[in-house]
This record gives sequence, C-alpha cells and structure tokens, in this order.
Amino acid sequence: MKQNILLQLHPMTKFYFTLFIFAVVLISPGYIFSFAIFPILILIAMLAGVAKEFLNIVIKALVTVLIFIFIMQMFFYPGENVLWEWGIFEIKQEGIKYGLLLTSRILAIGSAFILFFRMTEVRDFVKSLEDIGLPPMGAYVVLSTLQIIPEMRRQANTIMEAQKTRGVETEGSIFVRAKAFIPTLTPLILSSIAGTEERAITLESRAFSAPVKKTSLHQLSKSNMDRALPIVFALVVIGLIVWRFFL
Amino acid sequence: MTAMIDLKNVSYRYPVSDDSVLKNISFSIEKGKFTAIIGNNGSGKTTLCNTIRGFVPHFYKGDLDGEVIIDQTKITDYQLGQLGEKVGYVFQNPFIQVSGVKDNVFEEVAYGLENLGIPVEEIKIRVEEVLKLVKIEYLRDKNPFELSGGQRQRVALASIIVMDPEILVIDEPTSQLDPIGTQQIFEIIRLMKERGKTIVLVEHKMDLIAEYADDLLVMHKGELVMQGPVREVFADPEFEKYQIQYPHVTEIALQLQQSGIPLSFLPIRDEELADALNRTEVAAHD
Amino acid sequence: MKRSFKDDFNMMAMLLIPIAVAVNLVGFQLANVLRLPIFLDTIGTIIVGVIAGPWVALLTGLITNLINGIFNPVYFPYALTSIAIGVGAGYLSKYGFFKSVPKTIISGIIITFIAVIVSAPITVFVFGGVTGNTSSLITAAFLASGQELWSAVFSSSFITEVADKVVSVLIVYFIVKAMSDRYLSKMNYGDLYMKRNNRK
Ligand SMILES: Nc1ncnc2c1ncn2[C@@H]1O[C@H](COP(=O)(O)OP(=O)(O)OP(=O)(O)O)[C@@H](O)[C@H]1O
Ligand SMILES: [Mg+2]
Repeated sequence: MKQNILLQLHPMTKFYFTLFIFAVVLISPGYIFSFAIFPILILIAMLAGVAKEFLNIVIKALVTVLIFIFIMQMFFYPGENVLWEWGIFEIKQEGIKYGLLLTSRILAIGSAFILFFRMTEVRDFVKSLEDIGLPPMGAYVVLSTLQIIPEMRRQANTIMEAQKTRGVETEGSIFVRAKAFIPTLTPLILSSIAGTEERAITLESRAFSAPVKKTSLHQLSKSNMDRALPIVFALVVIGLIVWRFFL
Repeated sequence: MTAMIDLKNVSYRYPVSDDSVLKNISFSIEKGKFTAIIGNNGSGKTTLCNTIRGFVPHFYKGDLDGEVIIDQTKITDYQLGQLGEKVGYVFQNPFIQVSGVKDNVFEEVAYGLENLGIPVEEIKIRVEEVLKLVKIEYLRDKNPFELSGGQRQRVALASIIVMDPEILVIDEPTSQLDPIGTQQIFEIIRLMKERGKTIVLVEHKMDLIAEYADDLLVMHKGELVMQGPVREVFADPEFEKYQIQYPHVTEIALQLQQSGIPLSFLPIRDEELADALNRTEVAAHD
Repeated sequence: MKRSFKDDFNMMAMLLIPIAVAVNLVGFQLANVLRLPIFLDTIGTIIVGVIAGPWVALLTGLITNLINGIFNPVYFPYALTSIAIGVGAGYLSKYGFFKSVPKTIISGIIITFIAVIVSAPITVFVFGGVTGNTSSLITAAFLASGQELWSAVFSSSFITEVADKVVSVLIVYFIVKAMSDRYLSKMNYGDLYMKRNNRK
C-alpha cells in the first residue's frame, strides 16, 4: 500500500486537490460538470487502492441525504413549469434542475473530502499542518483526541455492561432507557478528567513547553509532483474563472 | 560538595486543602547522591517530589512558604519549561504516564527529545541505547496503551532518563513490578548514580533502599522527622516510632537483640547479619 | 474579572478538549444505543464552555465536527453551529447561568436559539432545506402544509433541538456539580462551581 504513488503524495497536495474540486464545482455552471467529477474521484480511489472504503462511506454518508434533498427540491422549489401534479404535490421543472445542481455539488464536494481522508492518515495531515504553523498544542489536541475516542468507547461499553449486571435497565420504556444514560456517562467523564492533572505533569516532564523549537521523528517529504500539482490546480482554477466570468 | 537540591523551611498547602501538607521542611542533597524518601501513605512524599520538580507551586498553585533552591537557583526564578531539562520526574501512576499521542514505544520514549529539539539522528541513537538499558527493546513497536503496568513503568522511566536530566526524581517506580523487575530498576538507578546523577526516590521496599541508597528522608504527617545516612536512620531507636517497615534483616536483628543475643552492629543488608553475629567482640563496624 | 482570549488557554483546559470531543461522540452513540429520541451530542462542548470558557469550547466544537466530518462530510458546515453552542455556553456560564437548575434550563433554551439561528442558514443555503434527519421530515411536513422554507426550517429545527439542549444542559449541570474542587480549581471558570467557595 505504501508503494502507491497517489498515496505517497504530500498530505497538503491531496488537500489542495480537495480544495481544487471544491473550487471547480462552485465555479462551473450547471450540474453535468459536477456529476462528471464523481466518476473521476472513483477512478482516483481505484488507482490509490481505496475504492472499496471510499464507496462504502459515500453510500453511508451521502446517499440518503442526496435523495432527500433531491425530492425536496423537486416538490418545493418555487417554479412555474409544473410537470406532474397530485393533490397538493407538484413536481416542477425548476425544482428538478435545482435539485440536480444541489445534489451534484454536494456529491462532488462531499466525496472529495471522503476521498481525501481515505488517502491521507490524519496523523500525516496534522503533521503537515504543524509544518506550516499549527501550534504544537493544537496538533497535540487533535492527535490525542483520536487516541481517546476509541478508549472512551470501550470504557462506555464496559460501564454499560456493569450497569446491566447491577440491574440498571437499558431496555424498556423511554424513561427507563433515559435513566441509564447518566450513570454511564457521568463516571466516564469524571474518571477521564481525573487523569488530566497527571497527563499535564507527564507532558511537562517530557519538556512539552521547553522554550525551543521541537524536532520530529516523523518527517514528510515533498516530491517534484508535490511542488508541481498545486501550481497546476491554481492555473486550472484561474483559467476556469476567466472562462466563466470574463469571456 | 555542592548542594544540588536545597529546601529551607518549606511549608505548602494545596489550594483546596485545609491543612499544610508539607510542614517546615529543610534538607539539602549533594550532587551525585542517591536519597530515598520513605513514609506512610499520605505523609506527603509525592507532594515533596512535586515541590522539587517545581509543579508545586507552578502547577498546583496554593501557598508555598520557604525556599526551594535547585542547583543554586531559586525555583521561582525558573520557568516551568526550563526546569524540565534539569529535573527528570517519573511519577507514581504508570497508567497515565504516556504522552497520549504516540502509537509505539520507540516514539513514546523519543517524545521528550523531540520536545527538546534534539536532532533526529541523535534521538534515534539515544532512544536505542535507553531501550537496551531499561530492557524494553522487545516492546519498541507496541502501542503504549496496550502495555502491562510493569511495562508501562519501564517505559515511563526510559522516557525520562533518555532526556539525560541532572536530577532524577522517581516516585514509586516499582509498584507494578515483580521482584526481578524491581531489582532491575534499582540496577538502572545505580547506573544513573554512577553517571553522576542526583537521585531522589520514593519507595516502600526497604531491603533495596538499604542496599542501594545513600541517605534517607523520613516523612511523617507532612513533617520531615528524620534525615541522614541510611544506616544511621535505621539504627536510630526513634525510627520505630513512625511505624514504617524496617529492612527484613534489620527486623530480625532487632528481635534477636530483644531476646538477648548481642550484635556488634545493626545490619541493614542480608549479608551483614552473619558479620554482626560473629564479631560481637569487635566494638564497632566501619 | 476580565479575561482575554489567551487567559482561557492553559494546559489543563487543552487536555479537557480531547475528552470533551470524545464525550460528544460517545454521548451520541449512547443515545443511539438506548434509542433515545434526542442526540445528546453536545454535552462535551457545553461542559467545556461551562468550566473552561467560550474560547476553549469553540475549539471543542470545531474539532468535534472536523472529526465527525472525516466519515461524514455533512458535518463540516455545521462546525459553525457547534462553535456557536460552545461560545454561547461559555458566556452563559460566565454570567452565572449554570448555577441553579432554573437558570440552567433557561440557558438550555438560549442555546437552542443559538443553535437554530446558526444552523438554519446552513441547512437552507448548503443543503436546500433538508439533510435527511428527523427534523427534515418535519420540515417537509411544514412545507407541504404551505409554510415558507425559512420558517419551516426554523420551526422544525427548534422542535427537534429544544428537548435535546435542555436535557443536555441539565446533564452538564449535574456532572459539573459532581466534579471535585481539586479539578475545578484548575479550570478557568471552575471557581464559579467549587463547593468550597459556595460554603463560605
Ligand atoms: N492535588 C492535591 N490537592 C489536594 N490535596 C492533595 C493533592 N495531592 C495530595 N493531596 C493530599 O496531600 C496529602 C499528602 O499526599 P501525598 O500524595 O503527597 O502523599 P504520599 O506520601 O505520596 O502518599 P502515597 O504513599 O499514598 O503515595 C494527602 O492528605 C493528600 O490527600
Ligand atoms: Mg505518593
């Protein structure tokens, strides 16, 4: 997986690509262009060897939303040209057009972000942000969040099991179930914050706030591609703007 | 010899506690000495360590009276970040004592050096060396969150000694370790002492203290009640008053004495017992 | 007591952020598992606002949505809502709005308004009025009954938010009450909630 040229690109290059798609979608008129972007993203995902995860997440996260949005616009977008009518429901041509525009844009931009995170380790992305000026504290907070989430999930499950064996109901009427929420969440929060004092001492003991510039074992390198691609993206965006608004 | 750690009439109260946790404490530790702090639970040992490391009062706030002087400079004149290079602190709870952002032990141990801005090449060499020293090379690719308590204690110790501080403050580093692991930790501490480090250790295992430490500080309800060379403190009849354990052999020797068997001196290490019994006619030991 | 942006940040506050983000996520997951009709996904953000102030809570809200966005980009634009909730909770706490149950309920309602006012434009401009959750169905119903888009979005999101936010702030109120003075003393707004001070 590490040999893949696309995956090996610098995180910032991939991020610029995501922003590039974002810009292209907003600049280009109509929906055809935006819909055309999705197959391109699938192609990239395939080349990067992440197509399966990519499509899975697109389906889970975006498909219902898109269907919903499309139906809504179809029925409720203001317009004159009624194509079909049934009681109070009317489908209007303007609605379909706006629905397609909206869904094409959300699909393209949303899946560009999904693809970005399939192709980039968050750790690498944070490192690249640190390289361009994110304070170490910010980087620490994000990375530590990523480590704490699964830990807390596990603890929540443990506590919940313990509650069950102690007779706290997690089934039954809504009030019964609601009552299980607090005894699960409260100890989780209290025990987690109780550890922060010692975590702070640990960090200080590891010279976290030493008044020097930090070094890092984790180095990201930029290839020629990484230098060239952002320029290409910028030129294309400028070209599009000129074509769209000045010609 | 110069004093590395010097406390003068230090009293301290946590912001949320009613009484002083440290009461008028004065002592002085010379460079290169290995000093053990002993005392019962809640007697203020950890608070004393926090004071030497400067977390009291920089981090814990509260009222600190008296003077804490580390390497000739008052602690109030250091910045929190600066003291980190001088005083390495391994604290009690091994479970929280990880950076929380590294996914393997090698990087975990390297974390302090990254923060100190050490060049990457040097970091790698130093981490390798310390992993070997602390005998955790086999853990290098493991996630720090997935270690046992004892393994975490070793990683915590390694993460501090890799930073090569002049003073090491170590609070109960062996609570999660088996006897062999404990012995190994003491060997590492001895090695640190040979390298000229000044060491302050909180520990309940008296046999090992008797074997390795130079001096003792005895804490009791926030007061520093006894201090001096290990042998003298254990031999002092006052020690019994504080209900702290003796080294094993000393305990036995005291009972022998009570039942009328004369001893030439009070042994504190196992191998001294025979000596103490045989040489009753010789007046004094070294 | 005057506080600047920088005063609100210290290491203890920073270390609270990851926990709070995880609490947001775990709260949401728990509410799901228990099949509760509310989200309970801003408890962490509100806690941070209450004990550490608006700016730390702003970061908590932002990071929560960025991390959720990794798996569902619909969350990205709503980062603004999370941010607003955090900042709102922070200011409410500063002015003593979390010191008693009735005041806490009022803050819950104020936070609901904040959330609705910030999220409605996002829903309308970015998603055309619906995003496929429960409140979308209500929006659709309002629209079908002839309401304007904006008022449909506002009223449906108010209906779905108000119970969630009032319950959330009450949970926060009780959790903060259960926090030790030792911990609270290290948080920027902690002295507002320490038992020791209130006793005097
Ligand atoms: N952060 C704190 N805030 C308030 N009180 C504290 C704090 N830390 C310790 N104390 C109190 O100070 C006293 C001394 O505690 P300390 O941890 O120094 O004892 P110790 O000798 O290290 O005990 P142990 O052998 O259990 O580690 C105790 O009464 C304890 O409750
Ligand atoms: Mg202790």
